[in-house]
Amino acid sequence: MLRVQNASVFFPGRDGGTIHALDRASLDIDANSIVVALGASGCGKSTLLNAIAGFLPLSDGSITLDGRPVERPGADRGVVFQKDTLLPWKSVLDNVALGLDFAGLPLRERRDRAAELLRLVGLEGFAKAAPHELSGGMRQRVGIARALATDPKILLMDEPFGALDSLTREQMQELLVDVWARTGKRIFFITHSIEEALFLGTTVVVMSPRPGRIVARFDLDFVRRFAAERDVRAILSDPEFGDLHNRIRDLVHRPHHAAVHRGETLQ
Amino acid sequence: MTDAARTTTAPLAEPAARPRTVALRPFGLDGARTGPISAVTGFLLIAMWFLVSHYRLVTPLFLPAPGEVAAQFIAILEDGYAGATLGEHVSASLLRILTAALIAASLGIPLGLAMGLNRWAKGVLDTPIEFYWPLPPLAYLPLMIIWLGIGEVSKIALLTLAMFAPICLSAQAGLRSLPIERVNAALSLGATRWQLFRAIVLPSALPEILTGLRIAIGVGWSTLVAAELIAATRGIGFMIMSASHFLATDVVFVGIGIIAAWAFAFSYGMHLLESWLVPWKGKT
Ligand SMILES: Nc1ncnc2c1ncn2[C@@H]1O[C@H](COP(=O)(O)OP(=O)(O)OP(=O)(O)O)[C@@H](O)[C@H]1O
Ligand SMILES: [Mg+2]
Repeated sequence: MLRVQNASVFFPGRDGGTIHALDRASLDIDANSIVVALGASGCGKSTLLNAIAGFLPLSDGSITLDGRPVERPGADRGVVFQKDTLLPWKSVLDNVALGLDFAGLPLRERRDRAAELLRLVGLEGFAKAAPHELSGGMRQRVGIARALATDPKILLMDEPFGALDSLTREQMQELLVDVWARTGKRIFFITHSIEEALFLGTTVVVMSPRPGRIVARFDLDFVRRFAAERDVRAILSDPEFGDLHNRIRDLVHRPHHAAVHRGETLQ
Repeated sequence: MTDAARTTTAPLAEPAARPRTVALRPFGLDGARTGPISAVTGFLLIAMWFLVSHYRLVTPLFLPAPGEVAAQFIAILEDGYAGATLGEHVSASLLRILTAALIAASLGIPLGLAMGLNRWAKGVLDTPIEFYWPLPPLAYLPLMIIWLGIGEVSKIALLTLAMFAPICLSAQAGLRSLPIERVNAALSLGATRWQLFRAIVLPSALPEILTGLRIAIGVGWSTLVAAELIAATRGIGFMIMSASHFLATDVVFVGIGIIAAWAFAFSYGMHLLESWLVPWKGKT
């Protein structure tokens, strides 16, 4: 289990002040769950993810993965970035195999494994392509395959589909659900799209504007339903979906009112 | 109302047998072909040279005829000049510049990278480098000769110093241009420090390093010839210098031509090296 306890982050501000980016956030990410953090721009979502990834130390609080404190980045936490970070001098296949290269796997094995992952994300025909020959959505899929290659305990995704058009975005969401259903990976996912959060999350945590604080938590089962029935329309037209959409919108837009909802839980 | 929702599929025209391929409209030249234009320009310049010398518009002492220069080139090729064959002059110059380039690169790249990564390396090395590199190399050539003598060592040391700075500075610039996300991505894929350096840092800095190497070779040629003009008994620069003592303008022309040809070959070699080592440059 990944456990975030009372995590706070202060950045140095101008004129010797401090910027309070994250305020006592607590979060558990269990096996087989997708936890989605939702909040307005600048509310501290990336800050939280960077801390979990080990890129950013906490000012206060703790993060543990299976009981061991998280201090540095490591292959047990795969990260998919908003900006694509593929290496332009490596082919798509070798980009996916990068983590396996670091792990010291022999060439044959890592190519086989990378090819398998490319199949999983539907890019089997592009193994030899260079990253700049792919579209944004395809590059993001390569990013997902690359993060999965080292078989991490958790996948951290910072608005991975934020830059994509809404059609591609839907495809990528379904792809992610497929990957999740097949691999059973836990996922921590950041978005500022309420719809995306509702569709993907087994748990959605709503964050308030700065200082980022988790103001509400919803446990949902839309994504499990989608994984089982594969019927997007049934889910989107479910009155409960629309109802939650409205409630969360209120929460995101009215931060002060939001505090009342703290600790709210729906099954 | 139903009209608005009616779906229509327009018939598609058969694709042409050989479709017209297109590419993004570039800004600037972006690899547009300039070769033919340059060739014509070169041809015109030579034609002008022929005309000017044919009609004796300039005295041959200042501008020898192309034929004379060619004849002189063959004569030097056969008999040598100023006590050494042409091959000896050329190889003396090449040996100096290549040795110096090798030393400068093998010191400049690691030191530049170290300066980009380590506070102490940067702090310590910045002082001497910032002090000496704006100096024109010829200003400290006399010092080199006093310290190291008139032989090869002083010239190679001079060239090495002149070429070291651009290489070292470009390696630092290469590190500064490394995006932190790339580093973080590699770390979260389990890269050790050394793997990070080999797989991410070095290739990311390579385009800048090669640019630095290119600049260094340019600096190298000008320093080389200048140094040979002042203190040498072999080399193309020396050949030019001794020819000028006898007002042998045609030999001077031969020397300049040889330098130009080699400098061009070097720059073309660097171009090949770039397209081999960093084919992705500018494509991110
Ligand atoms: N290195 C930094 N130094 C100072 N302030 C920072 C730094 N990084 C982030 N911040 C501030 O912390 C706050 C939270 O930033 P963060 O990047 O976590 O927001 P976010 O929720 O990810 O926003 P977005 O949805 O736009 O990506 C922002 O107000 C930002 O200005
Ligand atoms: Mg962010």
